[in-house]
Amino acid sequence: MTEPAAATGTPVDPALEPDVLAFLHLEARLADEARYSEWESLWAADGVYWVPMGPDHDPRVNLSYVYDNRKRIRSRVAQLNSGARHSQTPPSVMRRLLTNVEVLDRGADTVTVGANFVLYEYRHALTTWAGRVVHTVRRRPDGSLELVAKTVHLVNAGGPVPTLAFLI
Amino acid sequence: MTELDTRPPEAAPPRTDVDDLVQHDRVHGSVYTDPEVFELEMEQIFRRGWVYVGHESEVPEPGDYVTRRIGGQPVILTRGKDGVVRVLMNRCAHRGNRLCNAESGNSTTFRCPYHGWTFNNDGSLVGVPMRTGYDKEFLARRSEIGLAPTARTDSYRGFVFASLAAEGITLAEHLGRATTAIDRLLALSPDGRLDLRAGWMKHQHMSNWKMVMENNVDGYHALFTHESVYSAVREAKVSHVPSKVEVCVRDMGDGHSEIDYSAEYTRLDEEFVWFGRAPRAKLPNYVAAMERAHGPADTHRALVVGPPHTLIFPNLFLAEMNIMMVEPIAPGETVAYTTPALIPGQDELNGRMLRRTEGAMGPAGFLIADDGEIGARNQLGLAARKPDWIVLARGRDTDEADETGLVNHDKSAETPQRGWWAHWAEVLGGRYNSRDGAES
Ligand code: FES
Ligand SMILES: [Fe+2]
Repeated sequence: MTEPAAATGTPVDPALEPDVLAFLHLEARLADEARYSEWESLWAADGVYWVPMGPDHDPRVNLSYVYDNRKRIRSRVAQLNSGARHSQTPPSVMRRLLTNVEVLDRGADTVTVGANFVLYEYRHALTTWAGRVVHTVRRRPDGSLELVAKTVHLVNAGGPVPTLAFLI
Repeated sequence: MTELDTRPPEAAPPRTDVDDLVQHDRVHGSVYTDPEVFELEMEQIFRRGWVYVGHESEVPEPGDYVTRRIGGQPVILTRGKDGVVRVLMNRCAHRGNRLCNAESGNSTTFRCPYHGWTFNNDGSLVGVPMRTGYDKEFLARRSEIGLAPTARTDSYRGFVFASLAAEGITLAEHLGRATTAIDRLLALSPDGRLDLRAGWMKHQHMSNWKMVMENNVDGYHALFTHESVYSAVREAKVSHVPSKVEVCVRDMGDGHSEIDYSAEYTRLDEEFVWFGRAPRAKLPNYVAAMERAHGPADTHRALVVGPPHTLIFPNLFLAEMNIMMVEPIAPGETVAYTTPALIPGQDELNGRMLRRTEGAMGPAGFLIADDGEIGARNQLGLAARKPDWIVLARGRDTDEADETGLVNHDKSAETPQRGWWAHWAEVLGGRYNSRDGAES
């Protein structure tokens, strides 16, 4: 098992499988469109959704904006689905661009992909979010894909950060 | 007993006549929106009164510093070579450049990037480049030039406060009964220390700072604002229906107030209800350290009673095992800073605490994201100038005075809010910080 490359790591392999890229685009679109349960279904049982407050933070000692294990991902989605998550009622209207996509690492059955993103969020007003997103995707024995890790390094991780109740 | 005030709304009060804005069980809506009120608050509360600045654990070693703001003014909280914690104005004594531009770090001197003047972290000027350009008279006065300290700095058990005014009441007078809440938090630490170095979530709230603060001790909103948590995620630790629990709210005086779960927890006689009902067996090292330090009986009691849920006027909230400090930016904008109150050396506890803080607090937190949204909508609602008054009458005929303050055994009573506003009016009216008996 290799260590996942850092968010700013050097690309190790220029060839990203088309279905992995399509998976990342699907993940982005489901988040944009507030299709919470479909988004949740992408996650592996050991998935971790992480929005750190600094580029080289360690979640064991540093506080994060979001550090969701699979159980908490389920809770987050359940709260969003409740219709009473006021900070996302109605849901933000969002569109995000995923670009500069690079393969950062490969494991036996995983690939770690880094990309830059820009996200336009409209709720009370238009808010622009941007950063580096690192996905680790696992290929199951049957060839299908699942999301093992998603780490979002916000350019404004230093804050102050507006309400971030949507799926970033 | 008085009736709900149904007098017809009067003409808008004179803008800064504070007593006309606060009338015991009702508050004029403009207190959240009026820029003149905001300026008066900066002056009377943040430039004259005691303001929470930081915690000694953030600057454990000589040279450690963090930068903060008090009422918009930049300051450096730093520990000198002599071990003394100081709060210095973050402004170069030459021509005013902001001297220290990092959020935290370690340096025993600060060198201004503009013209290179260098200051010791006790504030003294220790280096002026190209000194031959200054005359003898200036060089003779050089020792008088240095970073301005805040007029007064004092601390209570590691919590550091500063006042920008040379005169006024002491920190002890300002804190009053609120020291009991700090004591209650520290009773959960084997050696009475905390570690506030996990990092601060900085959450931008598009609402007035008082909304952010007083909401923290509002026992009325949880069932509604946080309905999505209780319906979809997990049940509340104890019921939010006031008649079902022995949870009280308390106006502690001096603007401080709290929601106090201790009677309910004591009735349950169950440890860690406040910590996700974690069983003792999951925290063996912590429990053992507590028992070594405090003995089994006091440990049991501390673990049952749990941490405080206490607002300390004007900008500190002891949010159970989190510390929140609030910075006003503008009438409709506030930044809330939140970090867990880690216990030094207790890794198994601290790891859980990090995850609990992320779950509840900050911009993505299951609770505070919705508090922030409701606060923003409050600000939007208050853009309507009518009706004139916000109503804070809930439980006003059932408040009971005792040695701990004014207590209401209905958790949803607006007792903390009435206490907050009565004190706010005292301070803004200029009566509190210079009251009789204050030292000069
Ligand atoms: S302003 Fe700092 S050295 Fe001139
Ligand atoms: Fe709340």
